[in-house]
Amino acid sequence: MEFLLEINTEEMPASHVKVGLAQLKEKIERELASNRIAHRPVETQGTSRRLVVIGDFAPRQEDTQEVVIGPPKAVAFSKEGMPTQAAIGFARSHNVETSQLEVVATPRGEYIGLKKTSKGRPTGEVLAAALPAIITSLSFPKMMKWGETNLRFSRPIRRVLCLWGGKRLPFTIEGVRAGDETSGHKLHSPRMFKVASVSEYLAGLKKNGVILAGDERRSIILKQIKQRLGPLQAQLYPDDELLEKLTYEVEHPHVFLGEFPPEYLRLPLEVISVAMREGQKLFSVIREGRQVPVFLGVADSPGDRKALIRKGNERVLKARLEDARFFWEQDLKIPLAQRAAGLRQVVFQEKLGHYEDKSTRLKELVAYLCDKLGEKKIEKEAVQAAELCKADLLTGMVREFPSLQGKVGGLYAREEGYPPVVSRAIYEHYQPVGLDDPLPVSAAGAFLSLADKLDSIVGAVGIGLLATGSSDPFGLRRSAGAVCRIILGRKVHLSFDDLLNQAVSGYGERLEKPKGEIIEYCRTFFSQRLRFIWEGEGYRYDLIEAALGAGLDSVYFSYLRLKALASLEKSPSFEPFILMAKRVNNIIRGHPSYEVNPDLFREKQEKEFWFSFCILRDKALPWISAGDFARAQGMIFKLQPLLNTYFDKVLVMAEDAPTRQNRLAQLQAISRLLLKIADFSPVVVEGEKKDRSA
Amino acid sequence: MTLQNLIMSLQKYWSDQGCYLAQPYDLEVGAGTMTPDTFFRVLDRRPWRVGYVQPSRRPNDGRFGENPHRVQKHYQFQVIIKPSPSDIQQVYIQSLVNLGIDLSAHDLRFDEDDWESPTIGAWGVGWQVVLDGLEITQFTYFQQAGGVDLFPVPVEITYGLERLEMFLEGKDNIFDLNWSEDVTYRDLRLREEKEFSDYNFQTADIERLRQSFGLAQGEASRLIDKGLLLPAYDLCLKCSHLFNLLDSRGAISVTERVKTIGEIRSLVVRIAQKYRAGEGRS
Repeated sequence: MEFLLEINTEEMPASHVKVGLAQLKEKIERELASNRIAHRPVETQGTSRRLVVIGDFAPRQEDTQEVVIGPPKAVAFSKEGMPTQAAIGFARSHNVETSQLEVVATPRGEYIGLKKTSKGRPTGEVLAAALPAIITSLSFPKMMKWGETNLRFSRPIRRVLCLWGGKRLPFTIEGVRAGDETSGHKLHSPRMFKVASVSEYLAGLKKNGVILAGDERRSIILKQIKQRLGPLQAQLYPDDELLEKLTYEVEHPHVFLGEFPPEYLRLPLEVISVAMREGQKLFSVIREGRQVPVFLGVADSPGDRKALIRKGNERVLKARLEDARFFWEQDLKIPLAQRAAGLRQVVFQEKLGHYEDKSTRLKELVAYLCDKLGEKKIEKEAVQAAELCKADLLTGMVREFPSLQGKVGGLYAREEGYPPVVSRAIYEHYQPVGLDDPLPVSAAGAFLSLADKLDSIVGAVGIGLLATGSSDPFGLRRSAGAVCRIILGRKVHLSFDDLLNQAVSGYGERLEKPKGEIIEYCRTFFSQRLRFIWEGEGYRYDLIEAALGAGLDSVYFSYLRLKALASLEKSPSFEPFILMAKRVNNIIRGHPSYEVNPDLFREKQEKEFWFSFCILRDKALPWISAGDFARAQGMIFKLQPLLNTYFDKVLVMAEDAPTRQNRLAQLQAISRLLLKIADFSPVVVEGEKKDRSA
Repeated sequence: MTLQNLIMSLQKYWSDQGCYLAQPYDLEVGAGTMTPDTFFRVLDRRPWRVGYVQPSRRPNDGRFGENPHRVQKHYQFQVIIKPSPSDIQQVYIQSLVNLGIDLSAHDLRFDEDDWESPTIGAWGVGWQVVLDGLEITQFTYFQQAGGVDLFPVPVEITYGLERLEMFLEGKDNIFDLNWSEDVTYRDLRLREEKEFSDYNFQTADIERLRQSFGLAQGEASRLIDKGLLLPAYDLCLKCSHLFNLLDSRGAISVTERVKTIGEIRSLVVRIAQKYRAGEGRS
């Protein structure tokens, strides 16, 4: 039967709509399942003003059957098969005839039982009882109260519509009675109308200026953008975040095209597009990579028949651009180098000092990176960028548009005539900001970004500002994720410990925690971020553990280890090899480490094996140091048949202690070599499951 | 429509909604929220409906009268209704229709914008109301003031009068607005903007401002101890304005800013707690 729920609210933020819909779906499906109500997948749709659930559920709960156990069969029936008093009494107590009793086999023997069926309740009853709790339990990133209700929600709930099989489902939430009415577009069709089915509801909304499906609104926006831009032969400057926001903010999108005076094109694209996006949620337009003096806006309206919406937006935008030009011109009057002197006034973090200190640390850390990563030739420029990169925090532009930090500094550096390496590095040094944000393209930009983030991370860890649960006051997770992405993206091979050590040293005596503790915490923390990133990319959990288990000597090498494991996972040698590796580890577990002494080999196989092993090892080691783990592993796979022979002929745990220790030493050498590639013990293989069951 | 007609129209409209029409408070404040008619009245459980014009000073926004949109003093029309009525959005929208705006030809949006005033320990959840890209109103469900949870929840509607008037008159420059048929905004305010921008940015004596701040702060604290909460609050407002002047003189470092805001806030929190507890002389 058809189910329809609409929670009508005042305008929720776009992100809240999605969060709310996902929870509604999950909670309602869970409620149905736990109440044994069959259903098709629940569908959700929403706008900033309504959360909607559409479903098709069975009319009743499934009936349940239970078996009530009575007396043992031997007691309940006589030898002749006639019911005894025990059976009659049992039947009577359940209001049935003795003929309805059945024999039930139990672990304790045969008993008399009675199958009882209880009828499921009507779904409507179950829903009416459950929905108030479901709706009031929704949680949002930020919640509020209103009027005199005690409920906390994203924004005030003003009306609830709920239909079950075309009829109003009676329940109340904080004084709001669920009904069978809704209304259309807030400004253009606010009248209330009754509905008696999902199709009437959808048609009614459409007729009254509301497009319910997010996908449909998005495609209308995209289609209209294309139509508006067609004659101009220009393209949208893509901004998926803004598109997504607008899709949920409007109930009926209308795209309008406006213009601004071309004189403002003297401002950089970054500045213009931020002024457009952050103030008025307007899209920039480009032609052949250059900005053109037009914009696109999305109104919540069926149209703009008098062009008033366009003209209003044009007027407001002009004022904003005028302000941006004011900041641009004012800011350029003071050179960045002069501004940087003022960073002493700007606190980075109370215990970690001001931004001038930070710049000093960044200079050293960037120089270190240039040196270690073979980019000595850009060291001078990279250090200069480090010195200037925070100066834009003191500009009017960044005060007005904080999201331009870094970028504006880079643009000012370019205007002042600094070498492109310097201005580019400053420009890129916050990147990547989000998960989809591009990485810095230039080496100096990447190093500066790495240095900046590592400095913040070790500093925060050093004073105990950690990320715990949902709280991450210093944005450590995001910074660590960005560090990993840059390292992986640029294939930066650098000892991770050395890098952390260098970053911690920059703080001198300022940090509260000992260096070793900070580095240890960071290693664990980064391993967690890598797990998160790699699981997101679809790598097997056990392979990730295996790769990280070899130690985080370099983030990039850990990744190469993982890739090697993933590429060989399907090879026929993989499984026997893993089993062998585990066997070796099991045998040596708990023994102290020994040295191999070739003079102590007794058996021919022992000698032969050791000889082959040394050859394999000497071939594999250079590949391991070069990070070619797939090749090294392919080579090591060859150990498996050799070891099989070895185990067949050689008893490791020999009676004679020196012989036994020598053999253990052999296995320990194998284990040490394997661990340079990966820790194979967490890897799960099919054969292992069979082994266990056998 | 002139600016004074706009004011009269809003006054009439909200008076019809049962609001008491207050007169502007006679101290420098950054926003209508800060005046006692809002600050104290939202703290208790009694219903409250008020509407008033409040001149609001933001020294940092001065532009010597040269920017067509920014001024160091502007006018707000502030409405507080407690508890917030369930149809308040519609009531607000109707106030715009009442001004003669044909909303069917415009784009009116409630854009997420949570409001916060750390100085008086206040925050709320709501929107900026945007008309064809122009922010005309801040619409907030007040959640806390003076660090105290508010219940019943008041709704605060703050119209930016010059913004709204620029929309109504279709003007690009604030100084071209007509205050009345015969008097423009330029006639009334241009000289004030020039002189105050000079004072705010260049001429105010930093040392004297600091001294005044210290005096007001000390006096506020003394009065709180004596239970004279309203006078103490006035002195906090003075502190807040003096702080804004020091800031526009470039005399406040970032660390000092956080510290000073915290100091004013802690005075205000003490006042709010005492007021809520029914202390003081009433």
